[in-house]
Amino acid sequence: MDYFTGIDIGSTAIKIAIIDEDRKLVAWKVAPTGSKFNENARDAYNALIQEHNIRLPEVQHIVSTGYGRRLYKSADDTVSEITANAIGASTVSHEHSIRTIINIGGQDSKIIKINAQGFVQNFIMNDKCAAGTGRFLEMASRNLEVDIDQMGEQHKRSLNRSLTVNSTCAVFAETEIISLLADGNKKEDIIAGIHTSIARRIARLAGRTTIQDDVLFDGGTAHNSGLIEALEEEFMRDFIVPELPQITTAVGAAYMAMDLFLKKNLHQTVS
Amino acid sequence: MNKNENKRYERLSAKSKGQLIIESENVLQEMQQKFENTIPGMEYFYDVAKQYAGGQLKNPERKKYIATNCIQVPIELIYAANALPIRICSGAYSMSQAGAGLLPAKSCSLVNATLGTIYTNSFPLAQKPLTIITPTTCDQKKKLSEIPSGIDIPFYTLEMPPSKDSEEAQEYWYRSVKKLKGELERITGNRITRSKLKKAIIKVAQAQRAFRHFHQLRKEEAVIRGTDAILIANTFFYDNIDTWTSHLVSLNAELEMRKSRDHNGSESRYPRILLTGSPSIFPNLKLPIMIEKMGGSIVADEFCSSNRLLYDTVAVDEWNMYDMVPALSDRYLKACTCPCFTPNNDRERKILAYIKDFKVDGVVYQSFSGCQLYELESLRISAVLEKENVPMLYVETDYSPDDKGQLATRTEAFIESIKNNL
Repeated sequence: MDYFTGIDIGSTAIKIAIIDEDRKLVAWKVAPTGSKFNENARDAYNALIQEHNIRLPEVQHIVSTGYGRRLYKSADDTVSEITANAIGASTVSHEHSIRTIINIGGQDSKIIKINAQGFVQNFIMNDKCAAGTGRFLEMASRNLEVDIDQMGEQHKRSLNRSLTVNSTCAVFAETEIISLLADGNKKEDIIAGIHTSIARRIARLAGRTTIQDDVLFDGGTAHNSGLIEALEEEFMRDFIVPELPQITTAVGAAYMAMDLFLKKNLHQTVS
Repeated sequence: MNKNENKRYERLSAKSKGQLIIESENVLQEMQQKFENTIPGMEYFYDVAKQYAGGQLKNPERKKYIATNCIQVPIELIYAANALPIRICSGAYSMSQAGAGLLPAKSCSLVNATLGTIYTNSFPLAQKPLTIITPTTCDQKKKLSEIPSGIDIPFYTLEMPPSKDSEEAQEYWYRSVKKLKGELERITGNRITRSKLKKAIIKVAQAQRAFRHFHQLRKEEAVIRGTDAILIANTFFYDNIDTWTSHLVSLNAELEMRKSRDHNGSESRYPRILLTGSPSIFPNLKLPIMIEKMGGSIVADEFCSSNRLLYDTVAVDEWNMYDMVPALSDRYLKACTCPCFTPNNDRERKILAYIKDFKVDGVVYQSFSGCQLYELESLRISAVLEKENVPMLYVETDYSPDDKGQLATRTEAFIESIKNNL
C-alpha cells in the first residue's frame, strides 16, 4: 500500500495526517510543538506509523506545512499553511461547498476565500498581535484556572450574561480579566466575554472582504463550542466545523503530497 | 546637554551608526548572494548604497548639501543653487530604533528612522546638511521639526496644498516653490540664475530619460530583479546625478543584451507582482526580498521613490525664469500620487495602467504601521482591484525583522494562490 503524509508544524502543536492511495485518512496525531521542531515532529511521526503498522518505505511523499515547515528535514516538499488549509478544507467536507475558511490557530488567525477547486482566491491574516488567536485563550485559561477543554462548557453556563472584555491587547486583556475576577464576576461570564472579544476581532478582520457561504471554521480553537457560538453570533451565519478541526491543514498537505507524487511519476513515465 | 547626557548621546549615536552599517551590509549580501544571476552593472548601485549607509558618500567638489525629507522637493532648484540634494528618508531599522524614543509610540518606522538619522547625526556625508527641507505631505513628517530633541540643523517647511486639481492649489504650490527658490539662494549664498536652472532641469531630465528606458525594458520580461530596481531608484538621490545617470545608461545597455540573449520563450512563469504603498527604502527591502525569494517577480513598483523618476519631464516653452519655475512646480504637483491628496484618482489610474502594461498577476500593498494615509487608501485600492479581478495582498509591517515568519507565510501563500490560478 502507498501512503502520503502531511505534517503541519504549528506554533503550539504538530499535526500529522496520513492518507492511503484511495485518499482515505488512515492515521493522524496531534503532539505539542515544544522547542525542538524537527525532533518532536520526527518522534511523533515515527510513533504514529508504528501504531498503524505502516513501514517507512510505504510512505511515498511527505509535505510539511505550518510555521515550522522549513525546519522539518525529512519533507519532500513544503507548502504554506494557507494553501494546505484550503485544500484540506475542500476535501474534508464533501456535502458542502466551502468558499470561506476561518482558521484560528495558536498564533495566527486567518480568513481564506477559496474557489470550487479548493484554490486560494484571497486571504487575510492578523498582524503581529496575539489578541485574536489561540494564545489569547491559553492565557485566559491560565488566569482563570479553567482547563482549556472546559471553556466551551463554561461558556454555555453563562446564559447570555457575557461580560465585555475590551482590550485589544492580549497583555492588557490579562489585567482586565484579573480585575473582572477581583470584582467578583463569575468565571463563565468572563469566558463568554473572552470568546465574544475574539469573535469580534475576527469579524473586524473579515471586514476587509466579503464573506461567502459555506463557511468552515477550523484550527485547534474550533474544538471550543463557546467560541463557535460567539463567532456565529458575530458573523450572523452558521459555520461548518469538521469532525477533526485541528488537522484540516495536515490533511490538505497529505493530499498535496499525493498529487505531487503522482505528478512527478507521470512526468517520469512521459520522459 | 550636560556632560553625562552628552556621553550617553555619543554612545547612542556611535551604536546606531554601527548597527546601520551591519544592517545595510547584511541586506546587500542577501541581495548579492542569495539570488543567482546577478548583473555586473549592479555593482555600482550596491557600492553607492553601502557608502550611503556608512556615511561615506563622496563629495569631491565639496559642495554644500541640502537634506530632503520627501521626494516632493524640486531638486532642480537645489542643483541650480550649486548644492547637492541628499534624501534622508531612512529605511534603517537601527535608525527607527534611535528615533522611536523621541516620537509617539504609533509613529511610522520611516518617520522614526528619518528622525533617528537626524538626531544621531548619521548623515550619508561626513558633514551636516545646511538645512532639512520637509514638504507637508505627511502629518508625521511635517511635525518633525517641532519635536524637542535638541537638533541644531534648521528645518524648512515646504508648504503643499491638500489637493492638487484646483486652481487655488496649483497657485498655492507655485508660490511655495518660488519661495523655496529664494530661501535656497539665501542659505547657499548662490543666486539661481536662468542658465543654472536650465542646466539643472536638463540634468534631471537626462536621469529621468535613463530611468524611463529602464522602466520600459522591464515591461516585456523580468530582465532584472524588482529588488534591484528598487535599490536603483533609491540611489538616485545619493550619488552625483551625472554619475548615476551614466551608470544606469550602461546598465540599460547590458539589460538590452540580456533580453535578446536570455529569451528562449520556455522559461517557467513566475507570478508577476506589482508592489505599491508605503515605500521600501534601502536597507528596508524586507518585503521585496521576501516576495522574490518566494518565487514572485516584482515587475514594477508604484512607490513614490521610484515614480518620482517617471514623472513627465519639466515642460518648458521658453527658457526664462517666468516659465521655468511654473513648469517645475506644475510637474511636481500634478504627477504626484501621494495619498496625502484628496481626491487621488490618479493613483488608482496609475496602478491599473501598470497592471495592464506590465501584465501583472497580483498586487502587494505595503502599509507601514502608523502610516494612516496608505492604510486608508488601501481600502479603496483593494475595492478597485477586486472589481478588476486582480488579487491583492495587504501587508501591514514595519522595519523590525520580527514578523519575517508571518510575512513568509503570507507572501508564499499569495504566490502559491496566483500560481494555482494562472
